[in-house]
Amino acid sequence: MSLIQDLGARLQAAGADLPVGELVAALDKLRASAALLSWVRQQSADPLGVPELSGAIEHLEHAAYALHVVQDSVSGYLAAIGLGAEPAPEARPTPPEPVEPVAPGAPGTTSAAPAPRLRRWWAERVAYLTDGAPADPATTTISSDELLRSVARHTRAGDRTGLRRALTGAPAPAGLGLSALAPALLHRLASDLLGHEPRPADLPALTRTAREPVLALLPKLPPALVDTLLAQVCRVPRPADPVPPHPADTAVTSGVLVGVLLRRLGRDPEALAA
Amino acid sequence: MASVAEVKAAIEAAVAQVNEGQAAIQAASEKLAQAAQTMAAALDGSGHELVGAAQAALAQADTELREGLAATLTAVERAQTYAAGI
Repeated sequence: MSLIQDLGARLQAAGADLPVGELVAALDKLRASAALLSWVRQQSADPLGVPELSGAIEHLEHAAYALHVVQDSVSGYLAAIGLGAEPAPEARPTPPEPVEPVAPGAPGTTSAAPAPRLRRWWAERVAYLTDGAPADPATTTISSDELLRSVARHTRAGDRTGLRRALTGAPAPAGLGLSALAPALLHRLASDLLGHEPRPADLPALTRTAREPVLALLPKLPPALVDTLLAQVCRVPRPADPVPPHPADTAVTSGVLVGVLLRRLGRDPEALAA
Repeated sequence: MASVAEVKAAIEAAVAQVNEGQAAIQAASEKLAQAAQTMAAALDGSGHELVGAAQAALAQADTELREGLAATLTAVERAQTYAAGI
């Protein structure tokens, strides 16, 4: 390998090793948290840290853009010195691990003290979304990743009653944890379905694929939320909704969307555990 | 209408999400520093315009990550203060 080839290889490796996946993961977590706090804030005059969290999200979005500038600049430089046939490999967002360690009491844990009062509004909202009778939530414990697979199974089967039972039977923190697990998975599944990274131009096709199946299972869901989540998958900026969505809506819809895309890909939800 | 327990539980869940986000930001910062070091060593001596652009963008990404992390710390503090006071 010549000196110049060695230089190119090192730069390409450094470009591929930029922390795009970590940034996407951080953004997903902060957005999920912001949705939750925004919902709480509707019932309080206190800003609750929401403006600061919005600022943090903005900083991370700027950082993500800066990383793309780095990648483009490195690719352009390599081309300029005669090594540009192969652009720097794009760092693919890293999906969250199906089972990840989380702090006690965090969404997705099976802690012995899972915020029992939170379960009621979770179960009631799930019953509303699925247009079923409110039921007393069960007392089972389940992690967010187990719940996601269960939601995907019922979605795949078109089983609205089973979906409602699975969601209402889960602790609310585990349910809310779907909001954090789903975005990277949705991006990956959409990439597989489209054959490339989702782009703004893919939004109409993705909407045609996913919107109706989601609304069939969640008939009371405000349809705009499906559009918002699909726009996020395709990286289409949308104006902030003046009324933040109910956090359960985002979590449930994200999980069902994962199931819909898995069904379109003909994949078994159990593959999510791999 | 939500109860105090529900509000506290929701804030606790939100803070847990932020904590995980902070861990991801820390990981991103460390990885960015490594990439910046590699690029700086490889590109030392280059006066190419695109090299300057890459280095400036690396510095900006680092700054944004630091400021983003600082903002999350303030956000958590505010949310926890509120939760403790209700």
